[in-house]
Amino acid sequence: MSEIRQKPKRKVLIIGLDSAPAEIVIDRRDEFPVLRSLIEGGWHGTMRSSDPPITIPAWMVMTTGKDAGRLGLYGFRHRTGYSYDKMWIATAQAFKERAIWDVIGDHGGQSCLVSIPPSYPPRKVPGHLISCFLTPDSQKEYTYPAGLRPELESRFGPYLFDVVFRTEDREAILKEIYDMTAKRFEVIHYLMTTKPWDLFMFVEIGVDRVQHAFWKYMDTAHHLYEPGNKYENVILDYYRYLDRKIGDLLAAAGDETIVLVISDHGAKRMKGAFCINDWLIEEGDLVLKETPKRGASIEKTAIDWPKTRIWGWGGYYARLFLNVEGREPQGVIRPADYESERDRLIERLKAIRGPRGETWETRVIKPNEYFDEVRGDYPDLMVYFDDLFWRSAGTLGYGTKYLLENDTGPDDAVHAQEGMYIFHDPKERRSRRKEIDILDVAPTVLQAMGLPVPSDMKGRIFTAAEAPGIA
Amino acid sequence: MDKEFTTISIPTSLYKKIEESIRGTEISSVSSYIAKVVQEALSKAEAEPDVFNKEDEEKIKERLKALGYID
Repeated sequence: MSEIRQKPKRKVLIIGLDSAPAEIVIDRRDEFPVLRSLIEGGWHGTMRSSDPPITIPAWMVMTTGKDAGRLGLYGFRHRTGYSYDKMWIATAQAFKERAIWDVIGDHGGQSCLVSIPPSYPPRKVPGHLISCFLTPDSQKEYTYPAGLRPELESRFGPYLFDVVFRTEDREAILKEIYDMTAKRFEVIHYLMTTKPWDLFMFVEIGVDRVQHAFWKYMDTAHHLYEPGNKYENVILDYYRYLDRKIGDLLAAAGDETIVLVISDHGAKRMKGAFCINDWLIEEGDLVLKETPKRGASIEKTAIDWPKTRIWGWGGYYARLFLNVEGREPQGVIRPADYESERDRLIERLKAIRGPRGETWETRVIKPNEYFDEVRGDYPDLMVYFDDLFWRSAGTLGYGTKYLLENDTGPDDAVHAQEGMYIFHDPKERRSRRKEIDILDVAPTVLQAMGLPVPSDMKGRIFTAAEAPGIA
Repeated sequence: MDKEFTTISIPTSLYKKIEESIRGTEISSVSSYIAKVVQEALSKAEAEPDVFNKEDEEKIKERLKALGYID
């Protein structure tokens, strides 16, 4: 290329707090002195997450500036084509789009990237990388360059990617969360002070884990909340701990570094799980060859496909699939009837009420119409039951459509569409509240670094337009 | 094959161990043995790895289930 490429003018530190809601970080800022000082000197507010508001694809939507349809990623797992039983897990290899660190690299800049989902297997980046919680274990190669792993392990021991979550032992979970976070901050501090970087970004997954495990102990509105319980302050204590750790990092990051604290989506109390497949059975859309055991997975249940019209997957949101003639192996819905069937299903889904007859704010998305471009293995419908307050259970055989606890383990919180952000530029100290979209992050960061914004990034530069300041 | 060579240092004890293990084989020197092994290791790391073996995939699926991401 003949043009002289502009090098990054400013350094940016992105502190990713997986699942952190504005209701804690922004609204309770007085409990977190470091975060409060960033809020009081910067842009802050809620950030509308991606659709779906799930860790994958949300962090990649944020760092590529492209939505889930363009990325072709709708969660952690996907159907393989129109197969009934084959699925694949999204890893770093599933993301082909360029992220901000690629643009920074084009301009001679370096990035340090720590545990941004998904980053396993580790890929070549202009700089250094440690993979995320999708890493099977610390025996695998989990850094780029590969030599970084022995360098870190000789100082800090094996890296901790995640905590074990299949246990009711809350004390054990909490200890593991703190051990993991403490080690991550040690590693981050080391990288920050020994490696060259223009962008330093990490994701602390412990925030998400502590919230899922302890939300009901904190939130007085949660249906399982017990006043005076011993875990009441666990979540806020963890945030206070993070606040101190972030304070240490800021001292190492340098006075001129722009700091962005941000989550990939928010969190709120789980009201329960809606058993989508039990509902579809009741509606006559899903026909089984056997009576399922309580909690049976849909993949392992014998389905009478020639009599089945619709089936679903669970998670924080539901994915629904229509069994279409000529598309699925034993499809029954005629292609000509596809749209009318899908519209009728949307009406029925929106009419679902809660266990006490209460109305729900259920949102239904047709991926092929909602996204400008839709790639990959997308479902026929994406469903957020009661604005995500009710997760979706894909397992079945419960004899009820409503579970008041998660069907797959301890889980007191669900995802919220709105996450949070704080954007603090030490050269421009002023408190301004503004709502942003997750797509705005990538162009704003590049612009702040003095780099050109690729034309296919859809968001706007949120720091460019003046918003009324609310201190 | 590259014609240019350079020298690296390794502990003498390791050198002796390698010398022992290649004695009587067609590998002519400790240097060529190390070059071959390192070359293999690097190509393995550079190739697009098969992300998960079956066991890894099950491990990750179980973890994602326990975390509530898949159900």
